[in-house]
Amino acid sequence: MKKIIFAFLSFIITLSTVNAQKGINFPHGYAAGEKLLMSVDSAAKNVYYAIKFPNQPNTSFNYLPEVDHVSIQIYFRKKDSVKHYRYTILADDEPIVVNKPINKEQLKDVIRKDHEWKDEVLDSTTLGVFPIKDKTITTLVYSIEKPLDIDKSVFYGKPIPKAKIEVLAKRFATDKGVDYNHIVNPKERIDLTLTEKDDELTIVKVRSAIDYLYYTSIKDKQTNKIIFKSTAWQYGGYVNEAHKLSPYVDIDKSIFKKSGDYEIIIQPLIRWDRSDNSYYFKHDISPQDIEKYTARYTLAITLEEENYTKKELFMYTFIVALSLGLAFLVILYFSKKRNRKKLAEKEQQKNTAKLKLNSIRSQLNPHFLFNALSGIQNLINKNEIDNANKYLSKFARLTRNVLDDKELISLSQEKTLLDDYLQMEQLRFGFKYEIKCSKNLDLDNIEIPSMLLQPFVENAVKHGISQKATDGEIMITFIKQANDLVLKVTDNGNGFDTGKKNNGLGLQLSDSRIALLNSIYKENRFTLAIQSTPTGTKINLTLTDWL
Amino acid sequence: MKAVLIDDEISNLENLQTLLEKHCPQVTITTTAQSISDAVDAIKKHLPDLVFLDIQMGEKTGFDVLKLLPSRNFEVIFVTAYDQYGIQAVKFAALDYLLKPIDIEELINAVNKAEYKLTTQIQNSQLDFLLQQLKRPETNITKIALQMQSEIRYVSLSEIIRCEADNTYTHFFLSSDEKILVSKSLKEYADLLRSNGFLRTHRSHLVNPKYVKSWLKEDGGVLLLISGEKIPISKPNKDTVKQALQQL
Repeated sequence: MKKIIFAFLSFIITLSTVNAQKGINFPHGYAAGEKLLMSVDSAAKNVYYAIKFPNQPNTSFNYLPEVDHVSIQIYFRKKDSVKHYRYTILADDEPIVVNKPINKEQLKDVIRKDHEWKDEVLDSTTLGVFPIKDKTITTLVYSIEKPLDIDKSVFYGKPIPKAKIEVLAKRFATDKGVDYNHIVNPKERIDLTLTEKDDELTIVKVRSAIDYLYYTSIKDKQTNKIIFKSTAWQYGGYVNEAHKLSPYVDIDKSIFKKSGDYEIIIQPLIRWDRSDNSYYFKHDISPQDIEKYTARYTLAITLEEENYTKKELFMYTFIVALSLGLAFLVILYFSKKRNRKKLAEKEQQKNTAKLKLNSIRSQLNPHFLFNALSGIQNLINKNEIDNANKYLSKFARLTRNVLDDKELISLSQEKTLLDDYLQMEQLRFGFKYEIKCSKNLDLDNIEIPSMLLQPFVENAVKHGISQKATDGEIMITFIKQANDLVLKVTDNGNGFDTGKKNNGLGLQLSDSRIALLNSIYKENRFTLAIQSTPTGTKINLTLTDWL
Repeated sequence: MKAVLIDDEISNLENLQTLLEKHCPQVTITTTAQSISDAVDAIKKHLPDLVFLDIQMGEKTGFDVLKLLPSRNFEVIFVTAYDQYGIQAVKFAALDYLLKPIDIEELINAVNKAEYKLTTQIQNSQLDFLLQQLKRPETNITKIALQMQSEIRYVSLSEIIRCEADNTYTHFFLSSDEKILVSKSLKEYADLLRSNGFLRTHRSHLVNPKYVKSWLKEDGGVLLLISGEKIPISKPNKDTVKQALQQL
């Protein structure tokens, strides 16, 4: 920990020392690796720094675009043995200084004014001021007591190149072992078919001095997820044209679960390492800037056999089972519903038929009702109290029967009803009537739908004989004909055109009543026959198999 | 007053005759008729002051009697057992009618009213108006007769902005800024004009939706009319009024 902090420590002290550098304006100082501090000139807009690299201990990398000169200082704590230290400086791989000891005479005291360092006095000297534009300066510092612990600091003034894939190789099984297919210098889109025999992909990068800076990732373009990441490169398998080992990464085939587009991304790791007390480090490299240094290749994978994970397989099986089950349930539900609907419809049809029948039944002509009441009023006003009473009770019986929604009434009840009705009408229009019944009919026990004949009788009164007054005659007969019950209404009125539909509400309603009755009493057919001439009307209503 | 009684049922004629003799001594019954043609002849012959006319007469109606007369210089009191259409037209014409069985008080009132009209010699144009209205289908009634103190006004329904109750009287507010006071209750007009779209917004307010500008939310609902007047909407009527306005 102390070591890292030491790497950062220097730049605050530097502020006091930079001014000592002659000829160059050094506005800022930055930690530049173990024991080193760098100052850059005012041309610098940004400085990028990294010290963590895989398999590269003791390496720091300073990316210095747009910087003209860099000054490098070295610092030692008083307890360090300065005399053991050696340093080497290379400019673009050319050694400038090699294994040179520190010139002790040039060491100056600098005070680290910092609460953590508690005004510690350090020794410092400048290793030099170097032009850095389009150059690389590398310093190697070590103590002869530990000659393998070399601290390497790279000052990089060139543009960082985009990585380039040299070879994409596919390994497959053969009879003898394995063999490879190679795509050399692949284009930005690579079509690749993976068969059962293929097991591994290898990405070989074009070698550079700063390979350690790059890391490789693979993104699934369908899900936009990174499915593979490697920060390390292997050396040893591939030799390039310059007989140097090329860096590569191996990728197992199993990461490709499905056919589709994948992306190989190779990008540099440079960014500011975070440090809590250093507001200088707030400029992280932006994604757009990163993109300048990022290489992207699209990998169009065709899998001959789709790989499914156990989880996926389970999921798919589950989904299929679920949808099958669901479909079955839906079918079951609908067929049940349809059956139920059919039953309900049947029931409803019957109910509505009954309801309709009820509503039709209760439509005893209001004109008749009020005129009948008026007739009773007349009897009262004429002081015919007995008659008034008689007709009032007939009227009550009639209306009660209308209000009662009894489905069936006995023939004798129907006879009384018609009697009542006709007597009321007789009060309005003087006519004669008769109700006759076959002797072999059990009037009290044979039941018929209530108010069945009333509309026909009303029609006989209204259209048949009301104009004829006392000459009018109505005849009603109940007849047994084998198993059929025949109800007849005849009058000697003027008759009417049976073809015409608007023969009054009564007859129209009767037609629909017959239809409704036929839909309710399916076993027995109701047939209606109407014969009308200018000298009279005959109505025959037959209830088949009723008796 | 000379009166002719017309009804196709003898018992009704007898009844009316009995009641008139007993309760309306100022009425002298000249004759009665049981058919259309007899009625026309009787009226032509006797030139009565007052005619009691049954609306439903077998296949025909009492209106047919009126149609067959060249002049109608008499008052009519319609008598009916049950006849929705006929009654509606009679009401729009502000003519008098009696329902069977006859209520004695209503009979006396009707006779008195007829007598008043005869003595003040108000021009009787209501029968013409009635016959005109009967030529149209029921829903197409566009005018209504309003019986005022000394005259009958025929007003287009589209002229009526609103009606307001004043005890048993009703104020009619017309688009000509005129205000007419009629001696019938708002309830009767609300029933009569409902099928023409008029809205009963409140116990004492009937509004022609044609003149509604907007629905204001203040005080739990108020109708703003084009004239600027604000008409209250009572709670029980809110939903029906809202529905009716939405359907416009």
